[in-house]
Amino acid sequence: MKVGIPRAMLFHHYGEYWLNFLETLGVEAVVSEATTPDIITSGAVHADNETCLPVKVFSGHIIWLKERVDVVLVPRVVSEQYGTLACPKFMGLPDLARALDPDLPPVLAPRIHLADRRYLWAREWYSVARALGGTRLASASAVAGLLYGLEKHRVQARARPAAEGMTVGVAGHLYNVHDSRASLGLLDRVKSMGANPVTVDQVVPSRARMQAETLSRRIFWGYESRLAGAVLHWSRTRSVAGILYVTSFACGPGSIVGALLEDQLGREGSVPLMTITLDEHAAEAGLITRLEAFIDMLRRARRSSPGGLSVGGAQGVRS
Amino acid sequence: MKIAVPRMGNLSLIIRDLAWRLGLETVETPVFSEETMEIGSALAPEFACLPLKAVLGSFVQVLELGADTLVTGGGHGPCRFGYYGEIQRRILEREGKSFRMVVLEPPSVGIKAFHDSLRSLLPREHVRLGVLLNELARTMSKVVVFDKLEKRAMALRGLETEPGATDEALAEAQGIVSGAYTRKEIEVARLEAEERMRQVPVDNARPYLRVGLVGEIFVVLEPFFNFDIEHWMGRRGVVVERAVNIADTVVPMGRNPVFGYTEQAVAQAAEPYLSHEVGGDGLLTVGASVIFARRGFDAIVHFLPFTCMPEVIAKGVLSRVAAELDVPILSLSIDEQTGRAGVETRLEALLDLAWSKRKFVRGLAESRARA
Repeated sequence: MKVGIPRAMLFHHYGEYWLNFLETLGVEAVVSEATTPDIITSGAVHADNETCLPVKVFSGHIIWLKERVDVVLVPRVVSEQYGTLACPKFMGLPDLARALDPDLPPVLAPRIHLADRRYLWAREWYSVARALGGTRLASASAVAGLLYGLEKHRVQARARPAAEGMTVGVAGHLYNVHDSRASLGLLDRVKSMGANPVTVDQVVPSRARMQAETLSRRIFWGYESRLAGAVLHWSRTRSVAGILYVTSFACGPGSIVGALLEDQLGREGSVPLMTITLDEHAAEAGLITRLEAFIDMLRRARRSSPGGLSVGGAQGVRS
Repeated sequence: MKIAVPRMGNLSLIIRDLAWRLGLETVETPVFSEETMEIGSALAPEFACLPLKAVLGSFVQVLELGADTLVTGGGHGPCRFGYYGEIQRRILEREGKSFRMVVLEPPSVGIKAFHDSLRSLLPREHVRLGVLLNELARTMSKVVVFDKLEKRAMALRGLETEPGATDEALAEAQGIVSGAYTRKEIEVARLEAEERMRQVPVDNARPYLRVGLVGEIFVVLEPFFNFDIEHWMGRRGVVVERAVNIADTVVPMGRNPVFGYTEQAVAQAAEPYLSHEVGGDGLLTVGASVIFARRGFDAIVHFLPFTCMPEVIAKGVLSRVAAELDVPILSLSIDEQTGRAGVETRLEALLDLAWSKRKFVRGLAESRARA
């Protein structure tokens, strides 16, 4: 039996643990290929036209898997941290996948609800493991491995290669930033312009959480709370020269958190922030021009005042 | 302290009632207009959803009318609504307005948070907890009566023999209930109001369509944003039933007294299509659509603000509901650019489709009976 996993959405957060889970069970896993323009196009055709870019990309990956696998694994992520919830799109993702195409293979949707008691949802993974043909022992060990991995992911930051030169914070969803097609190669472009990009998953979660707690109203989306914390951390410690806020068109939490961060950073005086909005029509030329302008501005500011540029009131460039 | 609350369907009647009971001083929020939307969209973040922009616009208007305390709802997600108050406060502060924003947390966030935010709205003199709870309970029972009257009016409008008779009766009935204070008075007023509604002359022989109305509560309840669909449908002899009501969201334990199906029943109906809560009214939209389809409704209209997260999921899933349960569903996403003509053309097409489907089904049954 072949189990398909779309290389989209939360695969970029939890993919390695899902693959480990399937490997422990001895089931063959098929991960869809890296996003291509064709996948984005077929996703945009099949998905509802109002959804955000990542859901369209996800739909394209599901369609890609349709002919190639026997079942599809789309875990339902309800929360990623204590006291928070995930974006509603993650909660409805398996149901959206099922509604995409009537001929789709069955969709397995065990829950991940890290804010809740483990035994309430871990058993769903156990039944999935059993249904995939795992023995009792293999299933239990696969679930235990998964829980361990998720816990590690929750508290640890991803390692960051040491690098010289100017650092630029890239605040965006991992499934946009780490998908080089959806983000039009944003990270590579920043690197080729001579700056070191640092992403949200490279900030220690506890530090981000501490910063996020200083906001006047708690952000109730798990990942956005971490993102806002990371941005405040970068800005308050001046550990980056500038911040790129990457969001996708029609991203719900992104629209609110973006406005919140612009306001908060404007009030306390921060490093420059530029907002980049991605959609399936994004053209490279526009992105490159804006990135070049932003990075040139940061570089010039560094040359004139070694401490970096501080912008009070205005929020730098907005695109 | 002059309190202002955003407008939404019957909410203004409820606020008037609470103000009367608790001695609050309120400022009537102006009805939504093009101007409100212009102010709101100019200030709000570009990709925020319609209710945020609309409410922000009306807050600016009501501050100019002399309000100093703005009240809005809270929540702990995952719908964006829970963060509206914070964003609106920051934007209005940036605009240099002076005011106090009170975010009324629902009891699900925490009884204490709910109680504290409510207390902060009361005038200086002390109100005992028992009195407060009693008044709230009375208002709540009044809300249920208001919404039930409205539900009845939506059904009658499609059947009335003289145009406008239902609206006249509804206004009178609402007046009767508004004056009631104690529980007993509310009960008497309810009977009297229902009697008044019964006097609307109806034509039972005329064939009519039944249309279910689902979607996000703000655009479904506010006539300015749904182009007054209830009257529009009524004029075309359509009986409308609405799944979302203010009373259903304030009555605890998910009993949904006005819609008539408990939260569990709705979740069970939605289960084959959407098997998890998605925040906002997403699950209700799917569950109610399934319930309407099973009850043999001729069509379902789904209203959502553009990019609303829970409703976009519901919209994606509803295409499957429509195909499997064989019921036409029209999703209309509304933003500040939506034009009346476009919406009305699509609604007319939906009604035509429903009529021809009914004729087709009847023809099929007759040919079967002959054979």
